[in-house]
Amino acid sequence: MVQQYGIKFALHLINKHFGNVVSKVCENLFRRGLLTLDQLIQYTQLTKDQVKNSLLVLIQHNCVQPFLLDDDDVNNLKVRTQYLALFDNIVHRLRFPKFLETVLLRLDEECVDILDGLLRDGRLTLKQMVDRASQGKENTVTTKVVRESLCKLLTARFVERCPAREPVVSTSFKETTIRKRGVKSAKIFETPKTLEQRVLEAAMPGDAIRFSLTADTVLNVDGEKKSDDVQMNSVEENVVEEEQILWRANFEEFIRHLRHKVLIENVRSQHDDGTATVLSAVLEATKTVEKNVKMENSVPLSLDTITTEVMKTDTGRALTIDRIKASLSQLGCSSSSVVDDLYSIDLKKIIEQARNEDVESIVLKRYGNDAYRMFRLLSKGSSFLDTDKIAACTLVESKKALKFLTQLWNDNYLHMETVPVVTGRRSSDIFWWKVNQPLLWINVLDEMYHAALNLSIKMADEQKKNEEVLNVPKHKLKEPGPLQKEYKRLLNVWLLLGSSLMKLDDALMLFHDF
Amino acid sequence: MSVLAGKRKRQELASSLSATLSNEERVVYNIIRGRKEMGIWQGDIKRETNIPDSLMKKSIKMLLAKTLIKEVVNIQNKSKKVLMAAEFEPSKEITGGEWYTEGKLDTQLIEALSDVCMKLILRQKVSTREGILDWIRKVGTEIFPGGVSAGQVEQILKVLVLENKVQEVNSTGFGDFASVPAGEVCYRLAKKTAVGVKVGAMASFPCGVCPRINACTPDGVISPTNCQYFEKWLDF
Repeated sequence: MVQQYGIKFALHLINKHFGNVVSKVCENLFRRGLLTLDQLIQYTQLTKDQVKNSLLVLIQHNCVQPFLLDDDDVNNLKVRTQYLALFDNIVHRLRFPKFLETVLLRLDEECVDILDGLLRDGRLTLKQMVDRASQGKENTVTTKVVRESLCKLLTARFVERCPAREPVVSTSFKETTIRKRGVKSAKIFETPKTLEQRVLEAAMPGDAIRFSLTADTVLNVDGEKKSDDVQMNSVEENVVEEEQILWRANFEEFIRHLRHKVLIENVRSQHDDGTATVLSAVLEATKTVEKNVKMENSVPLSLDTITTEVMKTDTGRALTIDRIKASLSQLGCSSSSVVDDLYSIDLKKIIEQARNEDVESIVLKRYGNDAYRMFRLLSKGSSFLDTDKIAACTLVESKKALKFLTQLWNDNYLHMETVPVVTGRRSSDIFWWKVNQPLLWINVLDEMYHAALNLSIKMADEQKKNEEVLNVPKHKLKEPGPLQKEYKRLLNVWLLLGSSLMKLDDALMLFHDF
Repeated sequence: MSVLAGKRKRQELASSLSATLSNEERVVYNIIRGRKEMGIWQGDIKRETNIPDSLMKKSIKMLLAKTLIKEVVNIQNKSKKVLMAAEFEPSKEITGGEWYTEGKLDTQLIEALSDVCMKLILRQKVSTREGILDWIRKVGTEIFPGGVSAGQVEQILKVLVLENKVQEVNSTGFGDFASVPAGEVCYRLAKKTAVGVKVGAMASFPCGVCPRINACTPDGVISPTNCQYFEKWLDF
């Protein structure tokens, strides 16, 4: 569930990109949940056209998903489309530059141009991509060239087919159970999926279609025949159908890529380059078979497969098998944890460690060294500790310790319980403290959204305050003087605010998307 | 001196001294002495005796002058000094332990010992608690004239681990760990100490470390558009 500043930040982005009216529609979807068109008109007090157009814009840019709710009521003949705001996709708009950079590093400039079009316009057909690529150029760019780039993007899964228009989702849910055969088993309860997850799942086509270029999937991107029984369409029919397919950026793959990057960099800083190379090879080999982005453990691989993958890389060729084994051991794959000779790396642990470091960094800077030591003592353990014990372990005076612990508790960084103690005629309270990690991370994430909102507002404010300087012709700014000085200052301010926001966005992804 | 011998000596001292004390002084002295290393606050003595206040205060003054009793700062409540028979050493509950001097945390001792530990670990790459203790006993007597205990060294090392300056690891017996038997607990500099502690994204700009962030709102009294911390940060 998204906290208040997450929603405020998402709405700020919508407002900035699409204006007040669209933002108002989006706000009502966030605050009130799933709504029909009629409900939106009622709550926003906008005209029907305004609401409709806003929804079309939001759907075009993949910020809202329409769907039909099947309530299994045979008497209910009226089927109404409901709309779901997609928080994650809205916040992804902040990180479009990172997605473009990813494609630039892994593919080429032509692919970057296509992706840029998809990100700017939300969704495009092949024809629209060709038209866009040809704009401002003397010679028209051929469909073949654009198609080739699109194929590359599809193979890398950076682009996908747009989802079904209005998928049908059932209101009922069934408890999912898994039973092991032939063994005394207990029902394993899986957390039921949220309605948002079920809507997105229902909308998403299967992988074979999702990343397939051809309309009726006779031939997929790899050129393999899908089915001998399907009646072959004529080439012209295929081309027409192909040009009508809508494509969009596949945010999931970009987030997966960025998650892998963070995992590798964290391992590099904690251990060494060799271990980072081994992890990188494992993740690269298994990225297409990962079931979802937030995989807790890497897909199990044999040592032979890992060794083969490592030796494919430039930096991996220097590593011996013993060195690879030592790296796997550093990554937590000791001989006791290896099952059926398959190695699986605990990715969740690496992410959690990175999160802890970020939170500790905040505590150190905000509350000082003493509070930092006490916070680290509590976050390393899992049980409650009383004030005196914390003070003794961290060499902080008891009164000072109580003051810092109370500050941390007030700001929701610590959990506290009081236990009354009676000694003789006197009664007093003993305070017990603990770090409640899941709640702490939710709180820290909301603070991060708050900070991101502040940075964005400050950027807009600086732009507004200095509009005059920004509107001065460029040739006048080249002349030394107060105007040039002010312009340079503004550029530096802009750079600092922008880079801080991008760096903070890395932390947002660490706490929300990874 | 054995425990029994010590006890006998205290009893002999007590009986020889009690002959020189007035009745009130003797009563007060016996109450104080009865509390041994825990001592007793003046107000509590008053509750246990029927001696008038002025007479009690006079008796305490006399006992202090005769150095039969002493005042000790109570770490639990520094304004209420505790009275204790001279021959007893105050307990940890009263003094706060070996890190406290006169009721105050001895920050100079802590800093000096932390500094020595860090320098030794930096020089030797890997150090053990015993290694550091040995060095202090042989070479560090000028810095620590009163000496330091193994417990104090261990506690300082744990605090350095909490400060993320030092890592606690098990020796492999190879490479940097060659001087330490395999499996033994030892300490080395945390990687982050060498390259610099990583500052997280939130901690690198004003909002992330602002104590008022919960009061800050886009249109409020405290907002990003009028925030002084922001202005200062952007003041090139």
